[in-house]
Amino acid sequence: MLRPLLIAWIELKRFGTDRGAIAFSIALPIALFALMYGVFGRGASFSAAASMVDLDGGPLAGELLDRLEAVEGLRVDLMTEAEADRALDRSRILTAVVIPTGFSEGLQSGEPVSILFKRRGSGGETGQIVSHIVQGVAQDIAGEFEARKLARDGLAGRGVPEARIEQTMTPLLDEARAVAVERRTVGEEEAPAGRLIPGVLTMFLMLAVTLSASSIVDERRMGTLERLLTTRLTVNQLFLGKFLASVGRAMVQALILLSLAFAILRVADAAAFAQVVAFSLLIAAAISALGLVVAGAARTSEQATWGAVFLSMSMTVFSGAFISVGETGPLAFLSKLTLNKYAMDGLHGITSGNAGLAGQGPEAAILAGITVAGFIVARVVFRTAQKGE
Amino acid sequence: MTEEFLVAKDLRKRFGDVPAVDGVSFTIRRQEIFGLLGPNGAGKTTIIRMLSTTLEPDAGGIEIGGRSVAEDSVGVRALIGVCPQELALYPELSARDNLVFFGRMAGLGSRQAKEAAAENLELVGLLDRAKDAVRKFSGGMKRRVNLAAALMSRPHLLFLDEPTVGIDPQSRNHIFETILRLRSEGMSVLYTTHYMEEADRLCSRIGVIDHGRLISLGTPAELKSAIGPPDEVTLEQVFLNLTGRNLRD
Repeated sequence: MLRPLLIAWIELKRFGTDRGAIAFSIALPIALFALMYGVFGRGASFSAAASMVDLDGGPLAGELLDRLEAVEGLRVDLMTEAEADRALDRSRILTAVVIPTGFSEGLQSGEPVSILFKRRGSGGETGQIVSHIVQGVAQDIAGEFEARKLARDGLAGRGVPEARIEQTMTPLLDEARAVAVERRTVGEEEAPAGRLIPGVLTMFLMLAVTLSASSIVDERRMGTLERLLTTRLTVNQLFLGKFLASVGRAMVQALILLSLAFAILRVADAAAFAQVVAFSLLIAAAISALGLVVAGAARTSEQATWGAVFLSMSMTVFSGAFISVGETGPLAFLSKLTLNKYAMDGLHGITSGNAGLAGQGPEAAILAGITVAGFIVARVVFRTAQKGE
Repeated sequence: MTEEFLVAKDLRKRFGDVPAVDGVSFTIRRQEIFGLLGPNGAGKTTIIRMLSTTLEPDAGGIEIGGRSVAEDSVGVRALIGVCPQELALYPELSARDNLVFFGRMAGLGSRQAKEAAAENLELVGLLDRAKDAVRKFSGGMKRRVNLAAALMSRPHLLFLDEPTVGIDPQSRNHIFETILRLRSEGMSVLYTTHYMEEADRLCSRIGVIDHGRLISLGTPAELKSAIGPPDEVTLEQVFLNLTGRNLRD
């Protein structure tokens, strides 16, 4: 049992002498974390820009723009019609709101007015939200103007000063505009970074495929494989040692990434951190075992690298990381053949705070099964390939 | 002492349609340095791989120290040391770390491995460079560490596959002296080389192999006498006479 540990130890020691590899191993998770922090570090409140074109220039168009500026999370980008058309043409924006000429005058005279939404396709999710906000604010202004007009018309000829009417109407309209909203929390919202962690961590741990896939080829390249196989070391011990080294290296990187994510983005509490680490260990083990299958078959560094790339890319793509695989159909079936699906499902279960590690029994069992099966297949493949040499 | 320590009988190995080793039989006695000579691609390395348990023969049998390679490969490995043709070391690690590691893999305990590493580094004249990374060594020094690593298992039979390729005369001479000293301590050696004067100087018997077949076997003097007076014939002349002058790739 000591020899696999020595194999793993010597591999980690060799890794420790390579300053470039160490720097890269530390820099990679930090860079990935910085990316996550840049995206999610400022929280998840609504933030969007309304691209507005004011062809009217009248007081009510100005009122509309002022009120849009006051909406929380909404920024008004005022542009000319030509600028808006160019931005739409180049897909820099997906929706532009045009306040047409005569908007203010039409409202003031009681005629129907319109606002033009120019958009590419459906206008994008944010564009649709912004459109509804603009529409709501414009209808508010129109309604208020109509109410003021009715009040003025009703009081006409009764000697009530215009200022008095306005003084009375303004608080009434403000009150009417303010719709009371009750907020009732039915559960903790998962931190945005927490939703990202399963995918990022799984993809990151997939790097272990490359490490383990090249581990035997590296020994072959240095000539040490032949020497090791003439000692009392068995093939099982050799593969177990390589497996441990691969898991060890993957976990060091995963720990750096997770520590930063949990400490700075406060993804979840310490208990969840420990559970994610424990589950990551299972993922790293399963991925390393699959990498060993490639290692057992590969005869050159190129074969090992391309085998690892193919394995990791196909599992990432078919797991649904980039495409929607749905619940049924061939893609859904393929996703169930990937390790990533069970890895991400398990991690989601922990980071969402719903079930914890104890609730991830099926996923953990599948990952453990992949580990054992991968290890056995790797050994058989290696033996078969050795005989054919 | 003429007891046979290694017995190889009718060894055969094919790679696809190509017969790499075709019915080779020979023995190596205790305390004997046995030379295996042959042109490139003759089958020398394939024979060493079969003898050292890393390649299974298609047919034939091998016994080392009374143990069958087919039936007790782990037991056989306890008796052998292999110094491969290519350097087989971790260049990032120190000479000492390399040796201790291979000693542990050969079954030595931690303290035994450290002691053996020091002994073998002294034997190859590199004890003062024990802590230096192997990648910093010259070609000759690397070859000597490669030999020291093969000795870590304290073998009874040592396979040396062209151990002096590309090194200076001093390192080569040091390796010769080491081999002779090991033999005097009881070790048997299977030695392959392309340098005929090395084989002439070191080996008590020589087998010449070509196209996977053993085409001649005897003492250097016996081989020479086949084509002329031993004092006037060189081993290189014998070798060219047996294997021809055509280039081999």
